[in-house]
Amino acid sequence: MILNEIANEFDQCIKCGLCLATCPVGKTLFLEKYTPRGKVQLAKRYAAGDLEISEHYRDIFAKCLLCGACTVTCPSGVDQKTVFLAMREEIVKKQGLHPNVEAAVTSLLVNHNISDEDNSERGDWRDDIRDLPEHMYEKERADVVYFVGCVASFFPMVQSIPRNMVRILQLASVDFAILAGEEWCCGFPLIGAGAPGEMKALMDHNLEKVKALGAREVAFSCPSCYRTWKEHYPTDLKLSHSTQVIERLIKEGPISLGELRETVTYHDPCDLGRNAGVFDAPREILRSIPGLTFVELASNRNQSICCGGGGNLEMADAALSGRIAQNKIEEVRQTGADIVVTACQQCVRTIKGKVRREKLDLDVVDITDMVVRSISHG
Amino acid sequence: MISDTIKNEIRGIVGDEWFLDSPEDLITYSYDGFLPEFMPDAVIVPGDRDEIASVMKVANRERINIIPRAAGTNICGSSVARKGGIILAFHRLNRIIEIDPESRCAVVQPGVVNAELQKAVAAYGLMYPPDPASMFVSTIGGNVALNAGGPRGVKYGVTRDYLLGLEVVLPSGEIIRTGGKTLKNVSGYDLTRLMCGSEGTLGIFTEIILRLVPLSPAKATLQAIYADLDDAATTVSAIIGAGIVPTTLELIDRTVLDVISNYGDAQFSDKAQALLLIEVDGEDILVEAQGKRIEAFCKERGAFQVERASTPEEADRLWQARRTAFGAVASLRPNCIVEDATVPVKMLPAMIRKIVEIAEKYHIQIGVLAHAGDGNLHPLFMTDLRDKEEMERVDKALVELVEAAIAMGGTLSGEHGIGIAKDRFMSMEFSQTSIDLMRGIKKVFDPNNILNPGSFL
Ligand SMILES: Cc1cc2nc3c(=O)[nH]c(=O)nc-3n(C[C@H](O)[C@H](O)[C@H](O)COP(=O)(O)OP(=O)(O)OC[C@H]3O[C@@H](n4cnc5c(N)ncnc54)[C@H](O)[C@@H]3O)c2cc1C
Ligand code: SF4
Ligand code: SF4
Repeated sequence: MILNEIANEFDQCIKCGLCLATCPVGKTLFLEKYTPRGKVQLAKRYAAGDLEISEHYRDIFAKCLLCGACTVTCPSGVDQKTVFLAMREEIVKKQGLHPNVEAAVTSLLVNHNISDEDNSERGDWRDDIRDLPEHMYEKERADVVYFVGCVASFFPMVQSIPRNMVRILQLASVDFAILAGEEWCCGFPLIGAGAPGEMKALMDHNLEKVKALGAREVAFSCPSCYRTWKEHYPTDLKLSHSTQVIERLIKEGPISLGELRETVTYHDPCDLGRNAGVFDAPREILRSIPGLTFVELASNRNQSICCGGGGNLEMADAALSGRIAQNKIEEVRQTGADIVVTACQQCVRTIKGKVRREKLDLDVVDITDMVVRSISHG
Repeated sequence: MISDTIKNEIRGIVGDEWFLDSPEDLITYSYDGFLPEFMPDAVIVPGDRDEIASVMKVANRERINIIPRAAGTNICGSSVARKGGIILAFHRLNRIIEIDPESRCAVVQPGVVNAELQKAVAAYGLMYPPDPASMFVSTIGGNVALNAGGPRGVKYGVTRDYLLGLEVVLPSGEIIRTGGKTLKNVSGYDLTRLMCGSEGTLGIFTEIILRLVPLSPAKATLQAIYADLDDAATTVSAIIGAGIVPTTLELIDRTVLDVISNYGDAQFSDKAQALLLIEVDGEDILVEAQGKRIEAFCKERGAFQVERASTPEEADRLWQARRTAFGAVASLRPNCIVEDATVPVKMLPAMIRKIVEIAEKYHIQIGVLAHAGDGNLHPLFMTDLRDKEEMERVDKALVELVEAAIAMGGTLSGEHGIGIAKDRFMSMEFSQTSIDLMRGIKKVFDPNNILNPGSFL
């Protein structure tokens, strides 16, 4: 059993409860079973044979954003996220996939993306680009591969992100390419679904395609793709998030930014900040935009609170995800900013989706949107 | 076991959604921050006082145990179903009812998290002083039931000093009010204070009135490191003897400093035997002057390194060692038992020496954190519950430690409570007459012994 390998994680839990302070799910649903401490204890008791996996049990572990807020709070060094992932894997082994996630996983394995569409449509976001170069960013060789990711490729609400990225890279004369229909899902949703064993084919394919282009760097606008590559892909290619690429391009000079008289705040995506350690690049970018006033959220950097879009929660319990997004919106309101900037298509979708449903007046943008707005004023 | 009929009656009172008896729910309400675990028969999460009163009437009639539980951060085992029964959770009673700046008080429901209250009253330029290290999780109800203290206790005291009044549901289901919004009140016996520290055995608080104080405009934070533990201890008595009332006076011993150096975020010199973290607060000028005096005291008494923070960021850095101490120690071994024996301030060095001696005698690792300003020690026993042989040694060491504290005129527990962690030691501190008196009080409130039974009495 996988849980034996991580037994020392839950044995390390002293039941102090300090992790209750930062868990967005526990704070919303109250009951101990939904808190990190509760789930660590449930994993422990399952491993000890005191408990069977039931539908209820599965539901508890599905109600988690895998955001890692508990892990940075734990004084005893328990890596809860590892416990929760192992538990999800165990649940899949015993009971099969979560019913709400099953269709997505099946289609992912067939289509190689998380939407229902054929993967050949992965590059359709390019349709609206004026003066699209003839190669449409698909090349034989390139220094940098821009790995777009499923969500930004297929969901219209966030397709501006890849369009911004190619515009920025092009302006800075970076020699880059995309894989278009040959880009496959990075495998991240499979980890959250408890089926990481299925990732290998995806990883092998992506690595082979990137290598075929002779690239030395892969750039990601999706923090979760970035992190999945960093943690799971066997490669020594340079891996960069869009914020790191853009920060570099601003410092080195090829892109120049124009004035924007706006007040913005920044939401640290869990997989970029806390879970991958990239905090400064996005802030440096915002600070280099002339005229921009930047205010921090009350809980920022390591302490950032998940937007509600993590851990496949949206699929398992959309209402809960929405309630957590609402809290995020309230936190943004407290800053007095008119715009909340983030650096993740999933955060944009979750927060903006809630803003639209509630007909609120708040601008939710990806950092590449801000950069392009600023360039247009240059 | 509770019959289905009774379960349904109680379910009818709190509503289906808030009556829980799945194995997953029972397991996750079988523990608190202490070691032993007990499966309850059910868990209820009532929505208001009247539901609680109705449940208590049924429980009293049917002799069903009810165990109040808030955030479950207590480390004395006082919120678990030791004799079976129903856990009563306060998650839904989490509203700040009123902040009254004119009367300088707040009225809250018991499930309000301490830090939430702190934040809310700060907006009025006010402060609720008790700041247990668990403040981001633990609730006002739990704080009152255990009379929680915190690092600010040297100057500001503990929960009891800020408790003005209560609304209480008695085990019989009757509702009483004690105290009120007035700062002074000598009418009758002081039932409010009797409730404070009662560990959930006398009544269930459903509303709590708290006294607030103005936020201090300034504070000074200092850190002093000593090559000799006694020098650190005499600094403590010197500061207090000189009439300075620090807000905070924390001591970290050599063992803990070593753990922090090896596993934590800060590095300390090899010759460091003790660290003092000192904070004063008040008016700017006063704080400045006191900061300087304390700095001089520390140097005169042999500190080889003294730092005084001049910015909030620096103060934060000085707090870092104290903040990470517990975690660094806790993560070293699978279990960490936090002791809480407290001695008169001047006995502090003797007590620390005794602890070092006990650790050597029983070959166990014990680090010492102390709220030195009020003699409250937190010896941290680093151990592994699964190791039977080691646990026997730990147990002997605990007994010896408690005996020593009592012999020095101290007490079993400064702030963490008795619960089942220390019930067996009660007769060391109290005469049979005193214990009988307490049992008598319990009987008056709870003749059928249904509220949190099996606790320290
Ligand atoms: C890391 C850590 C640090 C800590 N630091 C400190 C510290 O600095 N100072 C300190 O004093 N303690 C400290 N504690 C201990 C603990 O946090 C406190 O005792 C706290 O007051 C418990 O509050 P709770 O909400 O978790 O209550 P619980 O643990 O749920 O319950 C505590 C007791 O209160 C009773 N109770 C709860 N609510 C009610 C109610 N409404 N009516 C009647 N009875 C009720 C319960 O029956 C139980 O007996 C610490 C604990 C941990 C784990
Ligand atoms: S990962 Fe996030 S949602 Fe999941 S238990 Fe930890 S803090 Fe809660
Ligand atoms: S903070 Fe860590 S040790 Fe404490 S209850 Fe949570 S997981 Fe356990």
